[in-house]
Amino acid sequence: MKRGLVVAWLALGLVALAALAFIPGGHKTEFSVAQEFELQPLIELPSIGPVDLSITKAVVYLWIAAAALIVIAIVVSRTLKPIPSRFQYAVETLYELAREGIVGSVMKSGQATWFPYIAGAFFFVLTSNLLGLIPLPFAEHHQFGFYAATANLYVTLGLALFTFVFTHYAGVKKNGLVRYFRNWAPPSAPPVLKQLIFVIHAVSEVFRLVSLSVRLFANMLAGHAILGVFFAMALIFQNYLAALVLQGGSILIYMFEIFVACIQAFIFAILSAVYIGGALDQEH
Amino acid sequence: MDANAAKLLGAGIAMGVGALGPGIGLGMLLGKAYESIARQPEVSGDIRTSMFIGIGVTEAVALYAFVVALILIFVA
Repeated sequence: MKRGLVVAWLALGLVALAALAFIPGGHKTEFSVAQEFELQPLIELPSIGPVDLSITKAVVYLWIAAAALIVIAIVVSRTLKPIPSRFQYAVETLYELAREGIVGSVMKSGQATWFPYIAGAFFFVLTSNLLGLIPLPFAEHHQFGFYAATANLYVTLGLALFTFVFTHYAGVKKNGLVRYFRNWAPPSAPPVLKQLIFVIHAVSEVFRLVSLSVRLFANMLAGHAILGVFFAMALIFQNYLAALVLQGGSILIYMFEIFVACIQAFIFAILSAVYIGGALDQEH
Repeated sequence: MDANAAKLLGAGIAMGVGALGPGIGLGMLLGKAYESIARQPEVSGDIRTSMFIGIGVTEAVALYAFVVALILIFVA
């Protein structure tokens, strides 16, 4: 009896699937991935010299991320309890990850000085990445759409510039200007080789900036492009069966993007800690 | 072959060939990481942390190819 019921439901499901394949779908919607990442100004503002001050959706996403972070921090710190609630426990775990997992495991000295920046970068990148997975009405004609502030090279380059500047500031402040730059090349190397190593190190410092920003940018851009293509495919295929199958795929990719968002925030923070720690304790 | 076709071909080749190296690298990285976790399960936490960092750094190489492909299609 029970088995017969299961078979009947399965048969019904198969018939429904087969029927879906023959029902003509909705309207075909034009979709281009590149359009999703174009920045149209939401509010036009005059530009000062080469700096355009217009409010684009990336700016709005940054504001939302900052506001969400501030609200969460204030609410959690005001309502601290000895027996933590679920939300407090989650935030505490992330805080401990930033403190022990990132700063504590990578930096040898200056942990107390640089923990605020590393944790700030971690939480901000994490919030911006996760915010990109919530549809917000800032797409064209105020439709709901996916966009992440970190899927914009200018934002990630700005964040990476903070790390770049702080790295050299920390190194110069701790070791002194001359000694810091002299330590770029090992003191035991012969003079000609020393200059060569110095140049190679200088180039690698610049490439750290490029790789730190492009890694985050490309990860978020690629993820959101795939997500957009999958969601749009369900619209473009004039067929409910294809839409159903692709919608399942888009859910899988969405879950993978949650993972990528957390991992990329972690990597950004831990690489910042590695770079700053390397400038503080030079090994040569 | 017109210029647009060459652009698209170049983008495809850049992404395809650019994914080869990181693919091999990720395979080696994950294989070694799981091997060492199987050998010493008590330090699996440490291994997993550094494995994730390695994944992020290796994966970025493929994404550079992705960025180059995007530049070829939309900018060049």
